[in-house]
Amino acid sequence: MQRTKTNNRKKTILFLFVVFAVFMVLAGRLVYLIGFRGDYYSEKAEELHERERSIKAARGEIYDAKGVLIATNRTVCTISVIHSQITDPERVIRVLSEELGMTEEAVRKKVEKVSSRERVKSNVDKEIGDRIREYDLAGVKVDEDFKRYYPFDSLASKVLGFTGSDNQGIIGLEVIYEEYLKGTDGQILTVTDARGVELINTAEKRIDPIAGNSLHISLDVNIQKYAEQAAAKVLEQKQAKAVSVILMNPQNGEIYAMVNLPEFNLNEPYTLNIETEGTLSSEEKQNLLNQMWRNRAINDTYEPGSTFKIITMSAALEEGVVSPEDTFSCPGFKIVEDRKIRCHKVAGHGAENFVQGAMNSCNPVFIEVGLRLGIEKYYEYFNQFGLLSKTGIDLPGEAGTIMHKVDNMGLVELATVSFGQSFQISPIQLLTTVSSLVNGGRRITPHFGVDVRNSEGEITEVFTYETKENILSEKTSETVRYILEKVVSEGSGKNAYLPGFRIGGKTATSEKLPRSLKKYISSFIGIAPMDNPQIIGIVIIDEPVGIYYGGTIAAPVMKEIFENVLPYLGIEQIYDEGEQEYEVETVMMPVLEGMTVKDAKALIQENSFELRLLGEGDWVVEQFPLAGSEVSANSTVILYLEEGEE
Amino acid sequence: MAARKKKHSFYDFSLVSIIVFMLCFGLVMLYSTTSYEAQLQGVSPTRFLRSHIFGVILGLMGMFFISLIDYHRWQKWTFLAYLGSMVLILLVLTPLGRSAKGATRWIYIGSLSFQPAEFAKIATILLMAYLIQRNTKHMKNIPTMLRILVFIVPIAVLIKVVTNNLSSAIIVAGIAVIMIFVATPRYDIFVIAAVLGSAAIALFLYKLDWFMELSDSFRLGRVSAWLDPESDPTDKGFQILQGLYAIGSGGLFGKGLGNSVQKLSFLPESQNDMIFAVICEELGLFGACSVILMFLFMLWRFMVIANNAPDLYGSMLVIGVMAHIAIQVILNIAVVTNTIPNTGITLPFISYGGTSALFVTTEMGLVLNVSRQIKIEY
Repeated sequence: MQRTKTNNRKKTILFLFVVFAVFMVLAGRLVYLIGFRGDYYSEKAEELHERERSIKAARGEIYDAKGVLIATNRTVCTISVIHSQITDPERVIRVLSEELGMTEEAVRKKVEKVSSRERVKSNVDKEIGDRIREYDLAGVKVDEDFKRYYPFDSLASKVLGFTGSDNQGIIGLEVIYEEYLKGTDGQILTVTDARGVELINTAEKRIDPIAGNSLHISLDVNIQKYAEQAAAKVLEQKQAKAVSVILMNPQNGEIYAMVNLPEFNLNEPYTLNIETEGTLSSEEKQNLLNQMWRNRAINDTYEPGSTFKIITMSAALEEGVVSPEDTFSCPGFKIVEDRKIRCHKVAGHGAENFVQGAMNSCNPVFIEVGLRLGIEKYYEYFNQFGLLSKTGIDLPGEAGTIMHKVDNMGLVELATVSFGQSFQISPIQLLTTVSSLVNGGRRITPHFGVDVRNSEGEITEVFTYETKENILSEKTSETVRYILEKVVSEGSGKNAYLPGFRIGGKTATSEKLPRSLKKYISSFIGIAPMDNPQIIGIVIIDEPVGIYYGGTIAAPVMKEIFENVLPYLGIEQIYDEGEQEYEVETVMMPVLEGMTVKDAKALIQENSFELRLLGEGDWVVEQFPLAGSEVSANSTVILYLEEGEE
Repeated sequence: MAARKKKHSFYDFSLVSIIVFMLCFGLVMLYSTTSYEAQLQGVSPTRFLRSHIFGVILGLMGMFFISLIDYHRWQKWTFLAYLGSMVLILLVLTPLGRSAKGATRWIYIGSLSFQPAEFAKIATILLMAYLIQRNTKHMKNIPTMLRILVFIVPIAVLIKVVTNNLSSAIIVAGIAVIMIFVATPRYDIFVIAAVLGSAAIALFLYKLDWFMELSDSFRLGRVSAWLDPESDPTDKGFQILQGLYAIGSGGLFGKGLGNSVQKLSFLPESQNDMIFAVICEELGLFGACSVILMFLFMLWRFMVIANNAPDLYGSMLVIGVMAHIAIQVILNIAVVTNTIPNTGITLPFISYGGTSALFVTTEMGLVLNVSRQIKIEY
């Protein structure tokens, strides 16, 4: 037998020592992995193990000026399937396709897809969700969720906007105030095994969602409704393409109402509000939807026409190139360079002072005044009044002004700009500028957003808006107010006159381009009360059929709105003596359509109506005001005539 | 007489306790690791545990039985075991062989499965101890050393080629080399071999890109997955990365016994090659280091027994077992901690597998018998 030698022992010890050293290296490696890389790996492992389900945060609500809820959330359900937990796929497919109104193939595709969680349908009514839950199908999950809901359906649709399936604002205020409204989604984290099966006995980590803050806006549902009703009436009567109304506080820019007819249902934003022929390609449909969603009062520009004379008037008075008493003579046209620019009254207004020129909306007077200012000065005021920049309204996609470059402006351009032609601005820009000219010369920022409140109702942020002082002197502003009041009380804006209220305004009739189409935009800007303007409004009727004069069709709309809104705003009627008797005499408009001119004249003879005949012929085909409406006894009645059939 | 009595009463109880403790610890870890999987497969949660316990009990009985048989008796069985191991490896190619996970490593006799490579390791230890003992006087001669080593080559090659089991081939070769290292008085050629080997590895890693272009073989893919497991997190780097997740999420004291999440089908082979990662996840750095210390203690006991063995043959048997356990523990932990490229090696005493437990305890029986024959002189 061989004995173990000393050198064998030494080698054994050496071997053990080497093993020990290697063990120490491995232990060191473990210390490194756990101590230094542990956080990284355990985070990775948790990501792997945790299935996160997000809990949608309730989107902030939107309230009107009086605290009426106009945008809120409704509970809806999201139905999803977990492939590995389904025990009876055929029953799941049958039940889901029945309850959700989906084809079996579509459901089957979702059910048979091998994934940890497959969404079958979202935005399912809570009722249906509850019913599906009652089937107690293994592998079918019903998660409650929020869907935006607008209690007033179409009210101020283009202003409020709507949200997409991910609850994100798509148009309107929902986009601009997204950051305040959206809130923070919560999460439920559950630990699962590699198959995605949730483990029991593991703590469920829950991060609660934080609901979005609520937004309070200056829009007033009642005022909006008054405006919408009046606008809807004229839209129908005049078979117009569109009617827009904006009502605003001219002192601070708070918008009370913004109507853009036709509106659409915010709860069905992808349903077209017009009849379409045949089937549409998705691109065509998207174009039509974009048209439907368009806020014409903000996103579109138009030639303002005579309402723009307020700007010319303000600039000229401020610059001192004209005074209210200056006299002019209107022969029915004015020649500028080689161009003969006509007045709307072909016969001419004859001799008139500046105030009368405004009351008559006489183009030659304003051309003359514009020319007195000169291109440079006019442009300077145009800029000073804020017309070259955007208003900064809190709605997306505001259209900028389309104006001649100062270098390209000749006297003809100056003359046309003076009475509101050959350039384009957005309705909101026009209204904001006029507000600033009548409020004493303070340029305001039109807006809806007032403040933001958290879920406890505490105000977390009050919005402030930029103002620019002294774009016009108070004195000039006062003169402008005086003239505009005259326009309504005695001039072309007569149809907006409401006894007891000091209303001012300006009418406009713009001919759309190309002029040959003979399409018009009738508009009216109204302000009340003129001693201290509290409300300013604009009515724009796009492509009315038949009578298209702003003073005839747009001014009565404003009158109707003011009739309701002024008392609502607490503006009291103060009658002077003349008005008292005036007030007594309102009459019901008789039916004149279908009569001969002679008969019609005879019928209304007893009243002190001022009669205006348009067109040629013996038969009355259209009348304004319409039959059945209550009008003051000295209203202007317009009859549209055609040749008789007989 | 007194001395003789003492000699016979010596039995390395501290080694026995550590063996039993390790086996029991292995059972606990196995139950923790396999019960969930078993339930998912719709069988009793103790299904895998029971089959392992069967191997362990059989092994413990074998250990006790072998520890009673004088180890010198094995000498005459040496060549039979040597040839037998090669025959068994070749049996894998017959209908008795079974494939799993792309390699044919098992033979089935009835319902009993068995890895010939495990038996080959014991055969190697017996053969090497026998040859060294026969050539003691010439052990300093390089030709003698090489001649002895040549005997191991067919086993290693057969394991590698027939069963495509590189790790077992490495272990067999490693056992042989370490036994020769202890037996010979020489250091020089081992130092030269170590230096050359390190240089070769260094060159290989340095020129890795070049080798990669040369061949895109299975093992080279493992090498790149080793260097950066996150470069291929879903395929070759998957197991390593899942193991690292388990280790990293254990922290100092672990998630607590039974609370591993990675074992829930995330970590492949969690009950086998990767069980050390589950230990790290459930018991933390503390538990993992304790396991390492227990192995170290066990190896120290082997050293004590080897250095006090009555003769060189006994000493060499113990050195062989010691080399076997040391190599396997080191390779397993090194793989799990991504210190070396991934190769499938189980952790002795703890990993799942009846055959492995049976043979490892059998080896312990050998060691215990050597320890029984130690003559303690006072």
